[in-house]
Amino acid sequence: MISRQLLNIAMFVELGLLVLAVCLFFAHGLWLFFYERRIQRLTALGRDSLAHLATRGTVNLEEIEALRRLPHDVQVIAFLEMSRHLSGAAKERLSFVAGQVGVVDRARKLCDSNRWSRRLRGARILSRLDVVDPLVQRLLLDPHPAVRAQAAEWAGAQPSVTVISAMLKLLADPATQARFAVQNALLRMGAVVAGPLATFLERNSGRAAEAGLRVAESLAEPRFGAAALRLSRTSDVGVRIAAARLLGAVGDAGGAERLIELLEDDDPSVRAAAAQGLGRMQHWKAASLLASRLRDSAWRVRRAAGLALRSIGAPGALFLRRALKGDDAFAADMAQQVLDLPAAAASA
Amino acid sequence: MQSALSQILLKGQFLVLLFFLTVNAWYLVLLVSSLLELRRHMLLIADESRHLLLSSTLSPTISILAPAFNEEATIEASLRALLALQYPNLEVIVISDGSKDRTVQVLVERFDLVPVKTIYEQRIKTKPVRSLYRSSTYPSLVVVDKDNGGKADALNVGLSFARGELVCAMDADTLIEADGLQRMIRPFLYETDVVATGGTIRVVNASEVKHGRVVRTSVPTRLLPGVQVVEYLRAFLFGRLGWNRLGGNIIISGAFGLFQRDAVVNAGGYLHDTVGEDMELVLRLKRLSYERAGPGKIAFVPDPVAWTEVPESVKVLGRQRDRWHRGLADVLWRHRRMMFNPRYGVTGLFVFPYYVFVELLAPVIEAVGLIALAVGLATGAVDWTIAGLFYLTAYGLGTALTAFTLILEDLSFHRYETFRDRALLFWWALVENLGYRQMTVYWRLRGLWKFLRGNKDWGSMERKGFRPVTAS
Repeated sequence: MISRQLLNIAMFVELGLLVLAVCLFFAHGLWLFFYERRIQRLTALGRDSLAHLATRGTVNLEEIEALRRLPHDVQVIAFLEMSRHLSGAAKERLSFVAGQVGVVDRARKLCDSNRWSRRLRGARILSRLDVVDPLVQRLLLDPHPAVRAQAAEWAGAQPSVTVISAMLKLLADPATQARFAVQNALLRMGAVVAGPLATFLERNSGRAAEAGLRVAESLAEPRFGAAALRLSRTSDVGVRIAAARLLGAVGDAGGAERLIELLEDDDPSVRAAAAQGLGRMQHWKAASLLASRLRDSAWRVRRAAGLALRSIGAPGALFLRRALKGDDAFAADMAQQVLDLPAAAASA
Repeated sequence: MQSALSQILLKGQFLVLLFFLTVNAWYLVLLVSSLLELRRHMLLIADESRHLLLSSTLSPTISILAPAFNEEATIEASLRALLALQYPNLEVIVISDGSKDRTVQVLVERFDLVPVKTIYEQRIKTKPVRSLYRSSTYPSLVVVDKDNGGKADALNVGLSFARGELVCAMDADTLIEADGLQRMIRPFLYETDVVATGGTIRVVNASEVKHGRVVRTSVPTRLLPGVQVVEYLRAFLFGRLGWNRLGGNIIISGAFGLFQRDAVVNAGGYLHDTVGEDMELVLRLKRLSYERAGPGKIAFVPDPVAWTEVPESVKVLGRQRDRWHRGLADVLWRHRRMMFNPRYGVTGLFVFPYYVFVELLAPVIEAVGLIALAVGLATGAVDWTIAGLFYLTAYGLGTALTAFTLILEDLSFHRYETFRDRALLFWWALVENLGYRQMTVYWRLRGLWKFLRGNKDWGSMERKGFRPVTAS
């Protein structure tokens, strides 16, 4: 059945494979050893030149020429490494030098490639160097989600009207990765996005609105109040939860009234978010209503109500102590646990 | 008689050859698949800046579930390492599973714990919780002391306390690399249908550990841990990564896995009466995703690393492998209706049969082959040269595949940098087939036998402890 000849052939093939694997393994190790040392040495040179150029404020042509002579991969490593530690004018100088050395042009070419991996790399280099370039902005519409996400990361440092508008459209992106990157980038842009975001929230609903509400919650600007009120009345549970959280973050009187209404919402997660929001606002007038939520059928609502009472301070503590002596064992237990919590854990 | 035996051995030889060809064909497919997957992964993470994207306040909260049983000596260092993980929204839940030593007292003293009223939302039925503690200095730390019920029960208690959308199940003595969670969470952020992700487990024996972090990697010079380094590399880089691309991962190591909390709770949490509770949960999540037409992707991510101490004695290693195989048999038996069932897609048609024929029954077939070979040689029914060549061919291909796994490691993460380490890795890849592999066949057969007899004992794992940094 199994001839010796067949086994011999199989064994020789295997032996060949094994020898090939061993040669590759050790040859790669050897190559890596020399390559890494060379890269380290050259990167150190590049790093020193870049540190001088970026911090001194004047450009020395000889140093730029020396940087140009470095291998391309070393240039990229040195520039990206340095970019992590710089900001403001020093980073602008670094980007200028990168342009002079050719790093920016090569990254631009990568952004134009047909391969997603190259476009991603190009976008990463330009992002890290904070290079303002319409090419990267175009990548916000790239077919690959990783590239769109990277372009969004780049956009975080370029808060222009057109970029913000393009980014807000991406809040409805079907790919989670891109949506998440857009949310992060909008957060990094800070108060400048508040106006356009408020308009966006007033006109949108569903997934896009939910993503926008999360960004708005972190920015906590009063101008989001109207949109939050509107969205807190939608049928989408996720949107109502996010809207309740935003109302708590904004903390205006209209928001407090709506949060009190939301304490009666059909969905326990919305009731819990409303309780949390009232606690965040330290809305002591709602203490008695929050205390009644200690008897809620859902654990998460009782818990959120207890923590909210605790964060309100003395009036809340009074209601918690009263609940200890009440006839509802669930409310009493929750009140006891919340009162037992160390301060740090209660506010976590 | 002699002629009949010859006929049986010849027929058996055909079956063994068929098995051998099928298995190795699968291995080749897995190797190619893992190579492609690794390339895609490396392209995705090249020059990635994780701090901006993944250290955001918008990142989902992760609750780490760390079950501990009699960990008095190591719990402080392990917990400090967990609290220092680089992730913005982190909660750490230590569950003392009825420890009989001073585990809880050590935690109370070192982490400023205060007892709080023991009430919680019981999401899964478990053994009673004795007491609950919160820390005055570490807001994200929760310590639960409960009656002993095993690791599965402790994890289920943790699931009841977890606030995070994601839960990270781990062993108390596993060392997660500082940025491990940032890396591991990627699939959850990038895709909507992911319910669990797993990272790579590496062998810590012989590496240097400082403050709960591995500071210098080294390949062990001792046989058992050395061979296990190669085994772990093969299992993770070659096996799980390969299945990733083929859409059929069904294993996430119990030492380091990240799960969508609600998916696990809705599936009923970890099962108590199995020794393969981690694989059982993953396979159940997968099965339910088909039955309920919901999300069910299990993703393996190669770059987040957790380090674990592997057994250095034959006795303990044997017990571990016997338990693993019992667990595998138990899990496959529980979900046997998935086998060749088109309702379960790729998992039912390819992955499940692979695990039955290649992983579960491999030791039986290998043992039958070895016994038949011995009988054939003793009776003269099989030619010595043919037998020797067949043995070399069978194991030679395995060694070649292992060597290619080492290349995968070297091309991607190359954690073992010195020439000595490379030589040792290759040496252990060669030595593995000379005795060690046959021992694992015996242990796995023993596990199978115990499973058939209904044994569900865990056995004990003796640990030597991590190797501290040596003074220079």
